[in-house]
Parts: sequence; structure tokens; C-alpha cells
Amino acid sequence: MSSLDRPDDFEARRAPLKSMTDEALHARFWELVERIVAPLIEEARTHTSPAIERAVLLRMGFSSIECKQLVDRMQQRGLLGHGAGRLVLELAKSKGMSIRDAGEALLRGEHSGEHWQALDTIIAGDTGEQP
Amino acid sequence: MKLDPDKKLDIEEVLKDLDQYRPRRRGWSWRRKIADQAVGPFTYKDSSAALKNSVPLPAAEYFDNIDPQCDYVITTEISSGRFEDDLRRMRMAAWHGADHIMVIRTTGQSHIDGLIEGTPEGIGGVPITRKQVRATRKALDAIEDEVGRPINFHSYVSGVAGPEIAVLFAEEGVNGAHQDPQYNVLYRDINMHRSLVDAAESKRIMADAGILQLDGAHNANATAKEAWKVTPELLVQHAINTAYSRAAGLPAELIALSTVPPTAPPAPKLRLDLPYAVALRDLFAGYKFRAQQNTRYMETDTLETTVTHVLDTLISRLTATDIQSTITPDEGRNIPWHYNNIAGVNSTRQTLMGIDGIDEQLELRQDGPLQAQAREIKERAVLFLEEILESGGYYAAVEAGQFVDSGYYPERHGDGIVRDPAGGDGADTVVPRQPGYGAPVCSHFGDNSYAHGNGKPCDDYGGCSLCDHGKIQYIDELDTGDNVARRLQTPLEERARGLLRPEVEKHGDSIVCVTLFVPDSPHSAEQAALEMARHMNLKNPEVISRRVMHPAEGSLFEIKGLLDVAIDKAFLPQPAAVALAAEAEIEAWVRPRDIHIVAATVGEDEHSVGLHEILDIKHGGIEKYGFHCHDLGTSVAIDRLVDRAVELNADAILISTIVTHADVHKQHMQRLDERVRARGLRDRLVLVAGGTRVTDALARECGMDAGFGHGTSGHEVASFLMRSLRDRPGQ
Repeated sequence: MSSLDRPDDFEARRAPLKSMTDEALHARFWELVERIVAPLIEEARTHTSPAIERAVLLRMGFSSIECKQLVDRMQQRGLLGHGAGRLVLELAKSKGMSIRDAGEALLRGEHSGEHWQALDTIIAGDTGEQP
Repeated sequence: MKLDPDKKLDIEEVLKDLDQYRPRRRGWSWRRKIADQAVGPFTYKDSSAALKNSVPLPAAEYFDNIDPQCDYVITTEISSGRFEDDLRRMRMAAWHGADHIMVIRTTGQSHIDGLIEGTPEGIGGVPITRKQVRATRKALDAIEDEVGRPINFHSYVSGVAGPEIAVLFAEEGVNGAHQDPQYNVLYRDINMHRSLVDAAESKRIMADAGILQLDGAHNANATAKEAWKVTPELLVQHAINTAYSRAAGLPAELIALSTVPPTAPPAPKLRLDLPYAVALRDLFAGYKFRAQQNTRYMETDTLETTVTHVLDTLISRLTATDIQSTITPDEGRNIPWHYNNIAGVNSTRQTLMGIDGIDEQLELRQDGPLQAQAREIKERAVLFLEEILESGGYYAAVEAGQFVDSGYYPERHGDGIVRDPAGGDGADTVVPRQPGYGAPVCSHFGDNSYAHGNGKPCDDYGGCSLCDHGKIQYIDELDTGDNVARRLQTPLEERARGLLRPEVEKHGDSIVCVTLFVPDSPHSAEQAALEMARHMNLKNPEVISRRVMHPAEGSLFEIKGLLDVAIDKAFLPQPAAVALAAEAEIEAWVRPRDIHIVAATVGEDEHSVGLHEILDIKHGGIEKYGFHCHDLGTSVAIDRLVDRAVELNADAILISTIVTHADVHKQHMQRLDERVRARGLRDRLVLVAGGTRVTDALARECGMDAGFGHGTSGHEVASFLMRSLRDRPGQ
């Protein structure tokens, strides 16, 4: 519950709006909305989530069960911010495998295994750091 | 898959080869308005193309059975928990004019972090899975061919698995979906960052798939204490989702605002609801509108609810909409029963056809209180937006309880919904995209290293599932106990054996509803009503609606209970199967032959209505084909009938036995046969009996040539007479 309890002071608050034409009021409405939405859409542009990454793998031809397992494991390893689909694709390219084979290799492999280690090499290239 | 109107939907065929099924089209279908369309005796202003197969409104019987279709898409919401039963309900709804089938999800799916597979049974809706969606779309393809109009399939892209569900819907040809991150935040307590970030991806996927988006603002109506006071906030919620959707790539024509007239009588509904409807349409010109019917103030009285919904529909027509959603009149009592889906669709189309062309006669006043109140709501909404920004933005405003407060904003009662931006389901799961982040797929929103100027992001591996359907991984079932095949065992077996049970929701649920008036004070009347239901052999009787007629004189109850009876079709009386002959053919044969028919209502029977309907030209009776009919009246003795037939050299005798005591109707038929035989006339006279208790089989047993029961038309009788006379030896 919010603690704010306020009487209906509409008559006082509306003073600056009262003289506006309908067109000006509508423009004001949408301008405010755009200002509210701008930081939200900026966050979406620059962030991702497990559901988004699962939805990417789904589009790449993995089943819902495979998507869930792959994304859970990448999340545990702190890799989601690099893009689950990208990691699978770049792994496939680096190993000369199909993307399905790359995904299946990750599903089968231990975190200490060859394929998961290869993901570290891929992301190291993004920042120039050594794995 | 092709449907036959005389056969039940074959669920086994729907389920066959589902792994191979591909949706045949994508995107939303609107009805096309036809201005000044002639249908039967009328010209309609707001109608669309007719259906190939449909069930007209009951009163259409008086207007050549016309079935004009309005120009709005009509929605029905379907939610039994078993999709295999829902498919039959969809087919019935389509025949009654619904072309937007909204499938409600099972309770709790919003919180399942991933897709569900297979066909588990749901509660209050179905688990949305690939198999369920695919089977439904396949069945709807066949249903839309049967009725001759595209049917839009719709469900929900919400919860913590929104983007995956959006992909599923895009792949499977779903046409519409609810998508509004505010719904997750306010009503599902899903983390705000997660909801908003996921929503952008979902919306982008929907945009490319042509899926029409409905927002979630109507939920604020349904939950508000005083729904008419939430109107400024409704404008705000619509606007936030709309602007966010545009930013994520949805075009205006795929954004539909879900709007509900907030009140119901005895509130002065139109005076309260119209200003909001007008304000909304002013501010959101260029977007689509989905008008919902009120659920906030509905009780268990289905007639009261229907009247509210008629007024809601009137508001839609007065202020314009694109989709008219219907609410079943029993939603205040239980999970909707299938025949109430039909009732909701029917009262809506009845209203829309009844007010066809109202724009030519009435318009909303541009001066006076309506426009002033609309303006006031808009100003209150602007103030609401200003406070969001003053609070530090959307997240902070939600945290401060600004949403769904019961005050008429800027009034605040301090009872709004409060959510912690760092809390809720899925908290701490949103992560920043790192340098080099990429998603090699189509319809991805935001920074993406694969989104370069030329080519698709999925070119590197031959295309994503949105470009190459063959990449979709179809999972059939995961649960060997909870699946459609298991659930169908009993229904299919009973159907094969020809057993019938009553149902309101799912096959074999055996639920029936009885209406009882008991002349006593409410408590005692209710107890008596339940006891009476038990005497009717209803198990677990439960009062689902009660209405006091007078505190001492009595109350009316509707009681549901289980009638645990399976009827074997093989033992049911069969209808007279008279194939209709063409009217012109009958008349051409009858008129030149000077055929006389003697008719009467026999026995102690003063009811002659049925016979008039069969004989009189006014009622479409057999006279119109040229038969000379001699109606001897009521309570006529059998001998007198036969005498008159001889005098007139008649060819047939028709008797009607409407009211019968015991088996007296049988005796009349047997006696007529005997008397005609005794005079050696049986080969010359065709004998026909009719009446509410008469069946063809019974009449033949009693010596008649045919029997006709309730609902027989003159056309049927004339077809039979013409054939019998024509096929007589010597003709």
C-alpha cells in the first residue's frame, strides 16, 4: 500500500491545462508518454533476459527443452550478455560444425569441457582480453 | 481436412500428422465492410459478407432466414481446460458469427519460465503449447472453410516466457495476442525490468508476424473498486503500451486498445462510460479498438448481464470499434459454459444488426457535458503522466503506488498496487548486452551484431525458423498420463457406442441446469429447491443463481447438478426423413390434377393450430401447391372424415392429434386405418397423421402412411403427398 492519500485537487492542478486547445492537450499527452517510455525502450535495446535468449535459440532450431537447458547453463556461467544464439553460432563456425551439432555438444559437455571452454575464447575476442 | 456440416469434428483427424502441419496464412483478418448491402428484404449500412454456413438469429425465421453479418470482428473467449473440447465450441461459435477465438491460458502459465509442451489439461484455460496451438489452428482452418470466413486465433504473450511464446505464435500462424508488460507488473508481480525488456522482443516478433496486439488496460477496470474512477489511468496505461509498442516496431494497424465501458446499471452507464470512450478515441485516433464488455459489475443473473452487454455494444457503435468482444452471460457464476459463448455472440450480433445504420440517425453531441467530461478525463490523464515523470519515471511511479489507486486521479486513496522494481518473479534476470552481443535470428529487437545492412541476421546458417519452417522442433507429448489421447479414450468409446450425455463444458461432464420457482421465503425456498433437484436425480445440486421475486411469495433458482445418464441413440425414435421436393416440381404435378385432401383435428381436441400451419396458404401450408384442402374442424369423428373423403373423391386424409391423453392418439390412427380398410379404400387413400406426440415410426405402426411431429413444415407434407400419389400404381 502506498501511504499517499490526497483529496481531489483537480481544479487547482488543471489550471495550466485549462486554456490549452484539444490539439495542444493531445500533443502534451503524447510528449509526456514518449518521455516516460524512452528510458524503458533504451533499457530493452541494451539488455537481454533468459526468455529472450531462449527465444533466439528457438528460432535457430532448438527445441524448447534444449533452449531451456542451454540458457540455464549459460546463465550460471554468466554468458547470457553475450547472446546465447551468437555463442552457439560462433562455436559452430570455429569448430566447423552445424549449429545443431554445436548446441548438442554444449548440452552434452561438462562446463570444463572443450566446447564450453571454446565459448570463453569467443567472448574474449570482444574485449581483446585473453581467456 | 474438410468438415461436413452433418458430422462431428473428427478430433482424431485433427491430431493426425500434426508434425507435418503448417499454417496456411499469417496475420490478422478484418471483415470488409460492404456499404448498402441488400440482404433479404433489407439494405444494411454496417454489414460484411455473408457466411456459407451459419445459424441465423431465431427471429430470422420471419425474414426468409437471413443472416446478415456485421462489419466488426466478433470475439468469443474460450477456456474449458481441454482444447479438444474447445474445438467443438469454436465450431459452434463460428456458425453463430464469431471470427476471433480468444483462448484463455491455464492458471499460472504466466509464472512458468519456458514453454510447456504436449497437451496437459488446464484449469480455467488450456496450457498454451505448440501441439495445442497447432491442433487448434488446423481445426480452425477447417472451420473457416466450413463457414466461409477467416477466423482469427488469439492467445496471450505474457508472463516470464513472453518472447518464446511470441516465436511460437509467429511460427504457428496465431493471428492475435495480448501483450502488455504493465499487466505482468501490476497483476502477476513479474519483475518490471524483465517484463519491459522481454516485451520489446515479443512485440518485435509479433510485428513481423502480423499478429494483432491487444493491450491489457481493461484489467484495471476489472480490478478497480470503483471502475469509473480509473478512467484517467486507463488512458495512461493504453498510452504507455502503445508508445512502447511503436518504439519496438509495431505499426499502428497492429495495435488494438482493449477498452471496456467501466460501469453497469443501475449506475447511469452511458453518462459515465461515453465520455471515457470519446476521450480514448480522440487521443488514439489511427489505432484499432477492441471493445470488451463489462465484467466488473456482473452477478449471476444472465439476463441482467446481457442487458449490460447490449449497452456496451451500443457504446461501441456510437464511438466506433474494430473488434467487439463478447463476454459470456454466465461468467459471473462459473467458467463459461459453451452454450453461453453462443449466447454472448448472439446478443451482440443481434444488437449490432438492430442498430445498423444508427450513424445516419444519431450523433453524439459536440456541445454540453459529454465533451466537457471527455476533456476532463484527458486533463486528469495528463496530470497522471506528469506525476509519473516527477516521481522519477515509470518504475518509481509503480513503486510509489500510483497505479490502480481507487481515487479519481489526481485524488489518491493510498491503496494502489505497489511493486518493487528489484522484486517480483524473474528479478535479477535481466543482464546488459556485452560488446559483440548478437542474436543471429530475424525479428530480434535491439543491439545485435548480426543486424547489418545487407542480408538477414540468419543467413550464416541457412535461415531461422521464421524463414525456414523446417527448423521448428515439434515435440508431441512429454507426459504419458496427462494428454489428449488419454482424455479421449472414454469420449471416443462412448461416441462409437452411440451414447449421449448432457454437457455444458467438456465431453461427458453430465452437467444440467434446471430453473425452479419455489413459493416461499428465500431460505426455505432455496432448501426446497435443492431437495427438488435431488428428487430429479441430480447429483451434487448447487444453486448458481437466486433471485427474490418477493420476500414472502417466493424466489427463482437456477440449479446445476449432474445427470449421470448415458442415452443410447439406437433406441431413440427416428425422425420422419422426408426429402424435400422442389416447390415448383410439387406444384407442377399437383395443380393440374385436382387433388382433394380431407383434414381434421380428431378426438376431444379443440386445438387446431398445428393443422392450420400444415394446410393454410397463409402459413406456408400445402394449399399453396394446389391441393384442395377441406378442413372439417376440431373434434371430428373418424367416420365423418371417411364419409367426406368418399363424397369428395379425396386422395388423402390428414389427421391432427395435438393434445393426447394416454394413448388416445394411437387409437385414433388405428381407427382411421381400420375404417378406411373396412370400406375397401385403403389403396386409394393416403393416410397421414400429425401432432406433437406423433413420430413417423409410431404412425406407421398404427397403420398410417406417414407421421409428422412437432416442427413439420407444409413443404415436407406436400413433398410426401406428391410422391405418394405420383408413385401409386396407375399414375
